[in-house]
Amino acid sequence: MKTYIVALTLSIIFSLSARAELKWEQTMIELHPTPADKQAIGHFKYQNPGKTPVHFKSVHASCGCTTAQTQKDEVPPGESGEITATFNIGDRTGTQVKTVTVETDEAANSKTVLTLRTIIPQQLEITPTFVFWKQGDKPDPKTITVKVGKEFTVKHIKVSSSSPDFQTKVEEKANGEFKIDVQPQETKNLVASTLTIQPEDSQKVFYATARITNSPVVQ
Amino acid sequence: MRSSLIRQVLILAALALIPGLGEAVYFRQRISWQSSIPPSELVTVDQARTWAGNVIWVDARPDEEFARDHVPGALSLNEDRWNELLPQFLAVWSPGKKVVVYCSSLSCNASREVARRLRKEAQLSNVFVLEGGWEAWLKKR
Repeated sequence: MKTYIVALTLSIIFSLSARAELKWEQTMIELHPTPADKQAIGHFKYQNPGKTPVHFKSVHASCGCTTAQTQKDEVPPGESGEITATFNIGDRTGTQVKTVTVETDEAANSKTVLTLRTIIPQQLEITPTFVFWKQGDKPDPKTITVKVGKEFTVKHIKVSSSSPDFQTKVEEKANGEFKIDVQPQETKNLVASTLTIQPEDSQKVFYATARITNSPVVQ
Repeated sequence: MRSSLIRQVLILAALALIPGLGEAVYFRQRISWQSSIPPSELVTVDQARTWAGNVIWVDARPDEEFARDHVPGALSLNEDRWNELLPQFLAVWSPGKKVVVYCSSLSCNASREVARRLRKEAQLSNVFVLEGGWEAWLKKR
């Protein structure tokens, strides 16, 4: 009985591998860019172990922030190459999963989905990035919490307001956490300020917004 | 004989479970039931239109697509230039306004990401994702 199961399993594996012409080294790549990186680039390598050439019919990325390039349109038997997937990080944060769909003229497995998983390091996590008071509200302070990412060490932060209408006060808490108290001078006028938050010894700048808004629209 | 067969089946099922579990852990942020948008956060073009002057349209597509065409009065807010564009959006936002975010196709998740960041990071409420995105708007234009 055992022999039958092993033979069946092996025959399935062999038949599948014989049908697949373009062999991918890996269809998923995980990237860990540094905070200074603007792009994350994945190289998806392939080989054609078959006896006939394979042609790429289309290569397209799942989103506008990712581009994919082939080195050639035709892969002759025995040849190898790669598809380069470039993910533009922009101001994205956290874990980003983007895919590239590759279509070939292979009889089997004509469509392959390549996955690029990018883990963007986050030096500071700011919550909320927006504080507001309605016109006429009491000008009580509101708190913004700043948490330092696990892989980073930040002992001090600098906070400045683009407008003198808002005052800020930084309090250093334990476990790499800071509290920023933001307080408007008054709430009569519709004013706004960009708060610039910068870790010491770092070029990276983070932002938050403080604003006096008009009252809600009554429906 | 029968118990041997059951044992074999169980071994094969257990072996199949290992890569399955591995994938579930590795792709934990992409598991469909976690990434789908709750119906309460989705809005159709017709519904959004009934909100008339009480809505801010947010275009989450890349700059070039926004420049080509967009919903009249929409503001551009994409993750390529989030830090630069967010203050421009917040300058227009006011309490009580509804925010409708759209992107360019059903497979694109830019609108849900922008909506998520507006809710989580800026802590805004009444943020919705446009069902069908830009294409749905074009059909009803």
